[in-house]
Amino acid sequence: MSTSESDLLEEDRKLRVQINEKDLLCINGCGFYGTPQWGNRCSKCWRAHQIAEKRNIDYARNRTLLAFDRFEEKRKLSSDSRSLTLRNIIKKSPSMFTSSESTSELRASPNGTPSRHGRALSPDSSSARVAFTDWLVGNVPTPVVQEVTKMTKFAEHKIHEFDIAADDMSELVQNFYQHLNDRLNHNKFFQNQESVEVQSVMEEVERYLSVVTYNRLFCPTADEEVGDLSLQERIRSLNWVTAGFLETKLDFKRAAVRDSLDEALTECLSINSPRKIDEKLGCIVRCCHRIFDALRNSAAPTSADEFLPVLIYILLKGNPPLLMSNVKYISRYALPHRIMSGESGYFFTNLSCALQFVQDMNHDSLKMAQTEFEAYTSGQIQPPPSAANCGCNQAIASMEQSLSHLEKLELEQKKLADEMEALGKTVAKMEEEIESSYGFLDDYPTKELQDLLEKVDEEEKKTFQVCNLTAQFQKKKNEAPSQVPNNDAVESQGPKEQ
Amino acid sequence: MERATTSASSEGEFRFKVVLLGEGAVGKSSLMLRYVEDKFSPRHVSTIQASFLSKRLDLGDNHVDLDIWDTAGQEKYHALGPIYYRGSHGALLIYDITDKRSFEKVKIWVRELQRALGETAVLIVVGNKLDLESERTVDRTEAIQYAKSVNAEYVETSAKENLGLADLFEKISSLMIDKWEKTREISGRTSQNSSSSNGSRRGIQLVDEQNDAAQRTGKCCK
Ligand SMILES: Nc1nc2c(ncn2[C@@H]2O[C@H](COP(=O)(O)OP(=O)(O)OP(=O)(O)O)[C@@H](O)[C@H]2O)c(=O)[nH]1
Ligand SMILES: [Mg+2]
Ligand SMILES: [Zn+2]
Repeated sequence: MSTSESDLLEEDRKLRVQINEKDLLCINGCGFYGTPQWGNRCSKCWRAHQIAEKRNIDYARNRTLLAFDRFEEKRKLSSDSRSLTLRNIIKKSPSMFTSSESTSELRASPNGTPSRHGRALSPDSSSARVAFTDWLVGNVPTPVVQEVTKMTKFAEHKIHEFDIAADDMSELVQNFYQHLNDRLNHNKFFQNQESVEVQSVMEEVERYLSVVTYNRLFCPTADEEVGDLSLQERIRSLNWVTAGFLETKLDFKRAAVRDSLDEALTECLSINSPRKIDEKLGCIVRCCHRIFDALRNSAAPTSADEFLPVLIYILLKGNPPLLMSNVKYISRYALPHRIMSGESGYFFTNLSCALQFVQDMNHDSLKMAQTEFEAYTSGQIQPPPSAANCGCNQAIASMEQSLSHLEKLELEQKKLADEMEALGKTVAKMEEEIESSYGFLDDYPTKELQDLLEKVDEEEKKTFQVCNLTAQFQKKKNEAPSQVPNNDAVESQGPKEQ
Repeated sequence: MERATTSASSEGEFRFKVVLLGEGAVGKSSLMLRYVEDKFSPRHVSTIQASFLSKRLDLGDNHVDLDIWDTAGQEKYHALGPIYYRGSHGALLIYDITDKRSFEKVKIWVRELQRALGETAVLIVVGNKLDLESERTVDRTEAIQYAKSVNAEYVETSAKENLGLADLFEKISSLMIDKWEKTREISGRTSQNSSSSNGSRRGIQLVDEQNDAAQRTGKCCK
């Protein structure tokens, strides 16, 4: 028994020794020790593992946003055709772009759908087509409707057909806009002041094209997909950068400021829902307006110097998926005026600036030592918590809210207690007053009164007995034939007593 | 290459983008606010949105919609300049006449702008805070000479006292109109000579040329 026990102990020791020797090493075989909490990895491999895992999550989410089948198609497309530059496409098959077959097909039926090449229309596309046609019919004369429709559908068709780099495609689309714009400007119809403006027609064309060519033009290659992923990763590694580091003038103590920032975040994240370029720009504009609200509510200036840092902060906090693709899509295919002028142009430009800043961010831009910046970015150290750091941290925000509620409650309670105390004092004082001014009531009822009352009581009893006797006497008298005169009072009391 | 944006939609109607560039605290935001809203705040604080403003100007027969873009002036955002001034028709390069360094900064901006935009944009060097004449450290004649040397105009202003602002924006507007009309002449001449007017790339384009040509010559294509 004692031998087997010591054997076991020996086993145990061996086991432990073995664990120490081998199994505590990082499972990646890098030679460092691992830790169970880190899946038996060393800290370095654990970080790498986490990054890979998060990348997979991003990847899956982005893929859902882009729709899976299209994604596969695109991967194939980009790996097959990377060597096909614009020039050798032209050399290989010059007829590809002036294919007489497709041209004549389209010419034969200007209003027909070019979907005969195997592309089924999505519900989005067909409703965009209806809206486009309805708008044209409602606003311009038939020849213009036909011309615009024909040219736009030709362009749509070619966009799906051409297999060229995105920047070249962008140039083609912009040239198409320019060409159509010039043609319409020369049209007599638009020279009339009362007519709808050429720009409005162009906007409808852009709206239509951005829906029906979305799958082809938005994030067109796996390379751009990877660009989005690495931006997301980059932003994640910068999640320690707080509003404080960016020197914003946001006042996180105010609930209205936090609310505006949350709304700005929501708007920023919603950029992936619409396909239409103007609607995407609308998300950006609304996001920026909420940022201005936040600045106003912080009593900060609403100038460019204050605005840009907050926009950068929003990007870092929101880490919107496919942001890079959205920015590229807009800058490639938007009508120039949308991104060059007006409010949408200004805000889009600022978003591009913020994006650039995030990509280039280093210790210099945050005014800190390089080692410090790197330590934060690699997760070795955490920034000190402060009110500004956790502005958008909902838990802390709601805790702060609860605390302020509690404070208010405490105040109310104290007020109530004070009032009660005051009331108590008043009551005591009144009691005293009453006592002093109505002190004689202490002797009530007086001895004389009590004697008097007793006397009255006795008198009453006597009277009652007398009355009773009288009543009995009368009753007997009634039973006898001759009667004495009636006595009302005695008689009415009589039967009740019985 | 910059793509020319539509700055004139119809005859006499213009829309221009003007960026304000300059070191922090030279008065970019103040200048813009004073001009568009006629407001000045000595405390660097304003309650209205003051980073992007539009103003309509009537210059004789011409109507100009100015989009005025304020930019973040902090040094760390300097590198973002090209994104801001991309596609601008004009730029105001602002410095503070009491601050030599801000004038040197203007020179950096000018070099950058000319490299990026070439001759397509109108540049005006603006010496602001003219009300602080007694503290001036940048010599007026030196500044004028410098502006001339880089083909830019020179103007002095005070956002505080509202000096020279209306003139400044009128000046840049009429210079932009001139420039735009000149480039239209040139491009008009070249496009007459070239066979394709819309910069098509050797037959690859989204415009159906055969169809186009047929329509222009009046032939029916059934
Ligand atoms: N005396 C005087 N002060 C001015 C003038 N213009 C601006 N200021 C003051 O200069 C300071 C900076 O003005 P801002 O308009 O904020 O300068 P800014 O160029 O926008 O600065 P950033 O936004 O930081 O790039 C403010 O305190 C203004 O009140 C002026 O013409 N005269
Ligand atoms: Mg400013
Ligand atoms: Zn390891």
